[in-house]
Amino acid sequence: MSTADFKVVLLGSEDVGKTSLMKRYVSDRYHSRPHNNTIGAAFSSKKITSRGRDIVIGIWDTAGSERYYAMSQLYYRDAKAAVVCFDLTERVTFDRAKQWVTELRNQEENCKIFLCGTKKDVIDEGIKPRAVPPEKVLQYSKGIGAQFLETSSKTGENIGALFQIVADSCELPMQKQETIQLQTLKKKNNCC
Amino acid sequence: MDEVLDEVVPTEDLKKYEKVYHEQLNSGNITQKAQFEYAWCLVRSKYSGDIRKGLILLEELFHTDKEESKRDYLYYLAIGSARIKEYNKALQYVRGFLQIEPGNHQVHDLEVVIKRRMEKEGLVGVALTGGIVLGIAGVVGLAFALAKK
Ligand SMILES: Nc1nc2c(ncn2[C@@H]2O[C@H](COP(=O)(O)OP(=O)(O)O)[C@@H](O)[C@H]2O)c(=O)[nH]1
Ligand SMILES: [Mg+2]
Repeated sequence: MSTADFKVVLLGSEDVGKTSLMKRYVSDRYHSRPHNNTIGAAFSSKKITSRGRDIVIGIWDTAGSERYYAMSQLYYRDAKAAVVCFDLTERVTFDRAKQWVTELRNQEENCKIFLCGTKKDVIDEGIKPRAVPPEKVLQYSKGIGAQFLETSSKTGENIGALFQIVADSCELPMQKQETIQLQTLKKKNNCC
Repeated sequence: MDEVLDEVVPTEDLKKYEKVYHEQLNSGNITQKAQFEYAWCLVRSKYSGDIRKGLILLEELFHTDKEESKRDYLYYLAIGSARIKEYNKALQYVRGFLQIEPGNHQVHDLEVVIKRRMEKEGLVGVALTGGIVLGIAGVVGLAFALAKK
């Protein structure tokens, strides 16, 4: 009965900005006042054109709190991709993101992983410093073969780009996926 | 958006959490965590008998667990009730929740989904009947807890 062509799950500690990310992407809105904590998991979907085809991408926005830890498994199992989020200004959230990645790779090897560093605007405006050197994050993301993007739901930076990348790599026929991933990694190597 | 009402729990998960709950039941010491995880699976079962069982467990948790957890139970009470087509009851839970957290998007979305279901099933215009679902004390306690946050 599902209306989505494929599902993406957002994982990461509480307060890293998963709900804001989904809201910005799906309705292009951002609320600066604190959100109500997500209960269990919220669902939204959006049309996107990927590789010339119109598809509907479904997004599960999980709570991230420990009380819902067991339940997040049920959502990533059902998902084609996981966007693992951490707050660029909070070290512990990066450590938690790495735990999510390890768990995903052990439990659900078919779920593609993307890394997302949130609240980039906070760094750009000099309000708070980076908690993890970007080289470290890049090195880590390369090590696990995942793409890494820095986003801001406040300004909208990279939000569309993130989901476009996710959609494009999920839309590929299976056998082509490996090569493209290598190509994008190579491109990244040249530019950084 | 309908996914929140349509998703079905895989049987093996339901079994897994059922086992934990029953083990604790037998040892005479049920943790709220085990009860919640079992209830959470039950309300998304495809069988209405399971859902009803889940609703009973959630209601019990609502009355016994600490205040800041109550919003979670209220939300799943609404989900479970809607899944067995007890839409009026579901809407009462939703409205109780929104009285306390008026701007909650997730619960507003749920309200929209429930109302759309009622419309589709020709139930619009049916007056809300029945008493307040959880009793005044429950909702007042919840308001107090959330105001403190
Ligand atoms: N400055 C800034 N704040 C953000 C951003 N994204 C989220 N926040 C804030 O971080 C807090 C937690 O956001 P939320 O989306 O609820 O996090 P979640 O718990 O991961 O769903 C809220 O107060 C948001 O306003 C962002 O891109 N920039
Ligand atoms: Mg959230």
